[in-house]
Amino acid sequence: METIKFGNVTFSYPLSDRKALDDISFEVEKSKFIVVCGKSGCGKTTLLKHMKKNLKPYGNFQGSVTYCGDEIEDLDDRRNAAEIGFVQQNPDNQIVTDKVWHELAFGLESLGFDNRAIKRRVAEMASYFDIQAWFRKDVSQLSGGQKQLLNLASIMAMQPKLLVLDEPTSQLDPIASGDFLQTIYKINRDLGTTIILSEHRLEEAFTMADKVMVMDQGKIVAYDTPQTIGSFMAGNSTEDRHPMFYGLPAVTKIFQEAGGKGPSPLTIREGRLWVDKVMDDAGVEPLEEGAACDKADNQPAPKVTDPAITMDNVWFRYDKKSQDVLRGLTLRVAKNQLFCILGGNGVGKSTTLKAISGMLKLQRGKVDVQGKLAMLPQNPQALFTEISVEDELMEALHYDKESDEEKVRAVLDMLALMEITHLRKAHPYDLSGGEQQRLALGKVLLLEPDVVLLDEPTKGLDPFFKITLAGILRKLTENGTTILMVSHDIEFCAEYADQCAMFFDGSVVSIGTPQEFFSGNNFYTTAANKMAREYFPDAITWEEVAKCVGDSM
Amino acid sequence: MLKDGIGEGSEFSGYHPWVNLTYYILAIGITMFSLSPWFLAATFVSSWLYSVLLRGRGVIKMNLIFSFWTLVIMAGINVLFTHNGATVFFYIRGNGVTLEALIYGVSAAVMLISVIIWFVSFNVIMSADKLIFIFGKAAPVLGLTMSMIFRYVPLLKDRFQEIRMGQACLGRGSGKGFIGKMRQFGKEASILVSWSLESSIESADSMEARGYGLRGRTSFHLYKFTRRDTVLLLLMIILGAIVVAGCALGKTTVWFYPVYVLGNFDLMTAVTLAAYVLLLFLPIIIDISGEVRWKRSSLEM
Repeated sequence: METIKFGNVTFSYPLSDRKALDDISFEVEKSKFIVVCGKSGCGKTTLLKHMKKNLKPYGNFQGSVTYCGDEIEDLDDRRNAAEIGFVQQNPDNQIVTDKVWHELAFGLESLGFDNRAIKRRVAEMASYFDIQAWFRKDVSQLSGGQKQLLNLASIMAMQPKLLVLDEPTSQLDPIASGDFLQTIYKINRDLGTTIILSEHRLEEAFTMADKVMVMDQGKIVAYDTPQTIGSFMAGNSTEDRHPMFYGLPAVTKIFQEAGGKGPSPLTIREGRLWVDKVMDDAGVEPLEEGAACDKADNQPAPKVTDPAITMDNVWFRYDKKSQDVLRGLTLRVAKNQLFCILGGNGVGKSTTLKAISGMLKLQRGKVDVQGKLAMLPQNPQALFTEISVEDELMEALHYDKESDEEKVRAVLDMLALMEITHLRKAHPYDLSGGEQQRLALGKVLLLEPDVVLLDEPTKGLDPFFKITLAGILRKLTENGTTILMVSHDIEFCAEYADQCAMFFDGSVVSIGTPQEFFSGNNFYTTAANKMAREYFPDAITWEEVAKCVGDSM
Repeated sequence: MLKDGIGEGSEFSGYHPWVNLTYYILAIGITMFSLSPWFLAATFVSSWLYSVLLRGRGVIKMNLIFSFWTLVIMAGINVLFTHNGATVFFYIRGNGVTLEALIYGVSAAVMLISVIIWFVSFNVIMSADKLIFIFGKAAPVLGLTMSMIFRYVPLLKDRFQEIRMGQACLGRGSGKGFIGKMRQFGKEASILVSWSLESSIESADSMEARGYGLRGRTSFHLYKFTRRDTVLLLLMIILGAIVVAGCALGKTTVWFYPVYVLGNFDLMTAVTLAAYVLLLFLPIIIDISGEVRWKRSSLEM
């Protein structure tokens, strides 16, 4: 029997005439892995929340949602708690207790198990999820990835049959989110738990899914296997494309764009083999490995005259006994550029931003910024003080001496630029993650800075708004603003940056245009480049690779 | 060992929370009802020893400062306001300053100092986890509430840091003047409150999703009551019973007014005192032997 079945579900939120869910019908069979994707605000979260009784949103509901044949509405509370697990976006907000072991036991305590039974299950979970090492730690000492894993383990301890995850990795860095998705995959394979996952980062999720559901404006656009969904979204020509196409993984996009036929490859390995076959048919031999790398290694750092940001031999550590975070960092950022700093966790990227903004007292070295500086923190909520979006933007101009009309005009322009005009009366906290990010960016930009520092601006954004964001950033640099961003998002930086720099061990180790930068890297590069680097080492973005491969076909 | 103290890794701390709690109830409880100099000396010395053993040399200075001022203030106040007592030193405006009042003041001060210094080691031994366990036994909700408080304190601190930074990003870090600073602080506090309220909705969802509110909630813990806990608990109860019996027989009674009178130091007094000293020194003995065992085993390696 199917685990979850939606029968003609239509739902709208109170005081809204827009249908959040519009006549949705589908079934999910037992032990399947389903990935739900779509633009922010397309109704994914609303859909997922209907699968758990106590999370069901309040509003105008028609149709039926059944779990194993029973209406969700009428499920016994105990069964609802134990059999349906729900993981939300924010790792911090879901944790309730102060210790890891206590959090693991929380659900079992609610179900009224005795100490011995809880101990056994908790031990099992801790071993399965490999969290013995931090079992007795305070939750405040965990990293974001560990917190989210703890949330998952705490739910799995109740042995649910259905696991619903609402963008669980949106707040995590790529490595932690990869680990998290692997864990979910393992649960699905080992335990046969049915998984319904909504995700923005489809590269990995696509390779795990049995079926992919694409949503748009409260409707299901497609519900099919990941191999065939690409060709459906691609349509017959470039004009015919569904907007959701741009959210697909690079491998699938390249395959469709280049005009591949049949089931599309999903992993980079499959993509590589496909490229091999295409090139073999065309009679092209692969280039000698490492040619590109040698070129990059011999490349001198570009000279920058009249930089917007200058950092000279900067050393910093947080306190006397700790290690140096910045070790002789020297960096010059040219004016009117989008400059991206890439690198792993904890190498000092965010510290660099703080150092530039003058929030740190440096041990040694000099930082010089030309013009007015503003910075967007990682968590947009840290900026919000007002009760509506427009007031929020107005607040940024609070200390300005312009007339009120001018301020209003500036606010309206910014609303339009950030594409949040339709949300102007909404409360900042009611916005989705991506919309909050836009509002925060708008607020920072209203200060009219010459130099903007961005800390992980693409975190939690859907692929569509990333394109919009890139457009906004482009407009800013054209108008004379310098942007320095710190990011984990390789694909974004490859496509839109003017300069990329690799940060490691407290300083910048390599620097160049995306082309030079990524073609010189072997591991730390885009999926598209990994796929075709044997033939086209200079093709970095999926469009470039698709064009190169397509021309050879 | 003495430099930084043994800390939370102490052997006694590894006993079951009920054993730890019983010890402190007995130690602090009996201290509060005995003004006999022998007993005061015993509790004063052992509370000092144990606090230094656990917290290291750093705590000595703090203890000394605190003890000195408590002693001076309490003795001073008692001498100036109580004029009972037969042995008069001298008169201030016709009111006698007496030896007995001085002795009473000093005794009471020593008692208070001991109680407070007991709490220094109490804080190390009775960690938040143990308190949560004990309150959780009384009512699961109480334990959970405490656990949530311990979770939210560092979370709110981190958030406040982040808000500070966010405001600094907007160039609002340093307000001008006192009023400017207060206004800025008010803004930051208001962000913290609305952010936290908003996120608590999600926390509530997460709790309910994991069955919070179902009937028959239990309270999980990691403590096991083993044989050594039983042995130590029994020993403490026996020793405690002897001391309480001694108190009931008036062996710890002292008369301050009009003349300071100590009871006879007879056999029963000796037995009571010995039991009391042994009781108070139990954790010290346990911890030191634990340390010695560690030292020895690390030497053998």
